[in-house]
Amino acid sequence: MASVSTSARQAAAGSRRAGSRWAAATGRRRSPGGAGWLFATPFLVFFTLFLLVPIGIGLWMSFTDASLTGHGDGVFVGLDNYTEAFGDSQVWQTLGNTVWFTVLTTVPLVIVALVMALLVYTGMPGQWLWRLAFFASHLLPVAVVYQIWSMLFQPDRGMLNSVLQTFGMDGIAWLTDEKYAMWSIGLVTLWWTVGFNFLLYLAALQAIPDHLYEAAALDGAGAWRRLWSVTLPQLRRTTALIAVLQVMASLKVFDQIYLLTKGGPNGATRPILEYIYDTGFTNYRLGYASAVSYVFFGIIIILSLAQLKIFSRRED
Amino acid sequence: MSGLSRRGLLRGALYGAGAAVSASALSGCGSIAGSVASADEIQYWTLFTGPDGELMKTMTRNVEKRVPDLKVRTTVLDWGPPYYTKLAMASAGGRSPDVAIMHLTRLAGYAPGGLLDPWDTDLLAEFGLKQDDLNKTLVKRSLYQGTPYAIPLDTHPFVVFFDRDVMDKAGLLTGDGGLVPFESPKHSLELMDKLRKDTGKLGPVFGHANDAAMGWRMFWTLFSQTGATFDLTGERAEIDEDTAVEVVRFMADLARDSRTMDVQTAIAAFANGRSPMIFSGEWDMATYKTALKDRLGGSPIPTFYDRPAGASDSHALVLPHQDNPDPEHRRRTHQFVAELVKSGLTWASAGHIPAYTPAVSSAGYAKLRPQSEYAAAAKQLVLDPPVWFAGSGSDFQTRMCQALDPALGGSSSAASAVRTMVSQINTLMAQPNPA
Repeated sequence: MASVSTSARQAAAGSRRAGSRWAAATGRRRSPGGAGWLFATPFLVFFTLFLLVPIGIGLWMSFTDASLTGHGDGVFVGLDNYTEAFGDSQVWQTLGNTVWFTVLTTVPLVIVALVMALLVYTGMPGQWLWRLAFFASHLLPVAVVYQIWSMLFQPDRGMLNSVLQTFGMDGIAWLTDEKYAMWSIGLVTLWWTVGFNFLLYLAALQAIPDHLYEAAALDGAGAWRRLWSVTLPQLRRTTALIAVLQVMASLKVFDQIYLLTKGGPNGATRPILEYIYDTGFTNYRLGYASAVSYVFFGIIIILSLAQLKIFSRRED
Repeated sequence: MSGLSRRGLLRGALYGAGAAVSASALSGCGSIAGSVASADEIQYWTLFTGPDGELMKTMTRNVEKRVPDLKVRTTVLDWGPPYYTKLAMASAGGRSPDVAIMHLTRLAGYAPGGLLDPWDTDLLAEFGLKQDDLNKTLVKRSLYQGTPYAIPLDTHPFVVFFDRDVMDKAGLLTGDGGLVPFESPKHSLELMDKLRKDTGKLGPVFGHANDAAMGWRMFWTLFSQTGATFDLTGERAEIDEDTAVEVVRFMADLARDSRTMDVQTAIAAFANGRSPMIFSGEWDMATYKTALKDRLGGSPIPTFYDRPAGASDSHALVLPHQDNPDPEHRRRTHQFVAELVKSGLTWASAGHIPAYTPAVSSAGYAKLRPQSEYAAAAKQLVLDPPVWFAGSGSDFQTRMCQALDPALGGSSSAASAVRTMVSQINTLMAQPNPA
């Protein structure tokens, strides 16, 4: 799931770049001809086969009592699955966990990335080293991240608790206490994915024209003034982009939680995608799982529209 | 996902290449064609990896050697919930393997929906495997509407392992090397305190934290020992909740030294000598044997309450449904399975207790230690309730463990754990059986 979110981010970043190039090239744009369609065909075929069609089938399934085992396929049950979903406490609990995770990660993932980028950009020698160091963890596959952190989190022999104990503190049951489990996963996620946002910020910082700073300096602005009045406003578009992408990525959380806690303890970290997965693939209720997916899909759409609205207002 | 599909593609390409090779070689060399042609091979799905996987490979190879013309193609899939997803999809889609391993506790979710075909016990008997030679409890559980849908290969109960030397020093062993009997939960806790005091080590450990089965296995063991009501046959669950609360409280006391231990930590604590006793699945026997050598002792789970019982499951062989099975092929599949189950003694070296009783009562088995010490566990088996949503690798077990974990870890009460468990069970019972 994380790989999906990463690629989605890269795609988004790519389309942004492509967009600006496109704008530059519009003057020479030719009317779209047959050749364009021909080149797009391979993509369109895959897009249709593996995205549009499944989305359509999923929607249909959500109105049936389809089962993974092939029994009950196509038996139309109307809105029964949706009624069940809205009354299902597990849906609300796992949705709550997902939203909580999103809040817990999005804020630090934006702020920490910004701070890291500012620190590196303002006068640190050897920028390539910092870029590499901050970005390196993002290159690790989730299975490796899980291995590393499950060892660090070990209550008895893990490094984190050893450090705490050195300072005379009690060890923490990082992943097995309801109070801490989601925070621990947030910490892993921050460590793992902050590098990407950091790079986006760094690129944006490098794109701020020097003459703005020169002008500010001539007006007698100090370092803090320049940060508040030049740098941060110039980064607004990037911040908006990162926030939107981050919320999407966090809402889709599945893999690090599935690996680290399986949704435990006592369901405290179980995200809605895991509930959908369990319902569809462990309990074989595809129809119901599809309905819950569509409920979640609807919520994501609403959140995205709200976010879009907020940020577009800010840009005016 | 993309990796998988790419692998599938590569495999497809390989098969294609293989077919081309065999076609060109047909005239020249029959043996190459024989090794590639798959129509005659028995397709066998297993979930055994690691040492179990190696052992199963050896057993299959031995059967192939004993029986001329019997060829088996084994597909090993990773154990866990996805295994059952794949098996269900293969059976529903009609491209199922000829025979597959399945946990006996999952039968209730498969047999009624027509995902499995029944076994022909006469045919098995013809190949020397009589139903009478199999563990009675397991055979009873393998029936659906009186017809056998599974042939048990083994049982793998929840047992207890201990360090013989340390336990002996603490006076917890009888003259013949067995555990002293525990008369009640209270008595056992006193003995555990004595163990801690006398040896300066941890008491018994139990890896349950964030595990999808261990908490439930322990609960089911202890609860079954009380004989209290746990009835999932009606509309809603009928469970003796007071007893359940008492059991969870006792579990938390027992796990005093392993509140936050996951399975790996608990295994490590036992293997490196920090704890002299561990509640564990017998499937980890080999790990302990390597660490403790001859000091390793084993025993069925002690009877803490009124009656002996230990949570267990069984690796069983099933026939995934095929629309038009070839009778000759089916016959050979029966022969393969009969031979495999009769190889129980080999299988026992991994720690599992063979379902084939002549293997368990053989002189060879008596020499296997500590296997023979805990073999009596096969007489006190309790399997998960026979409902579609329960069994190994099920969402049900995960939910039960997640409900238990806070109580075992000390962050919430036994009563709230039991309330969560009962409400989760009722939620599952309200759902339609998808099979």
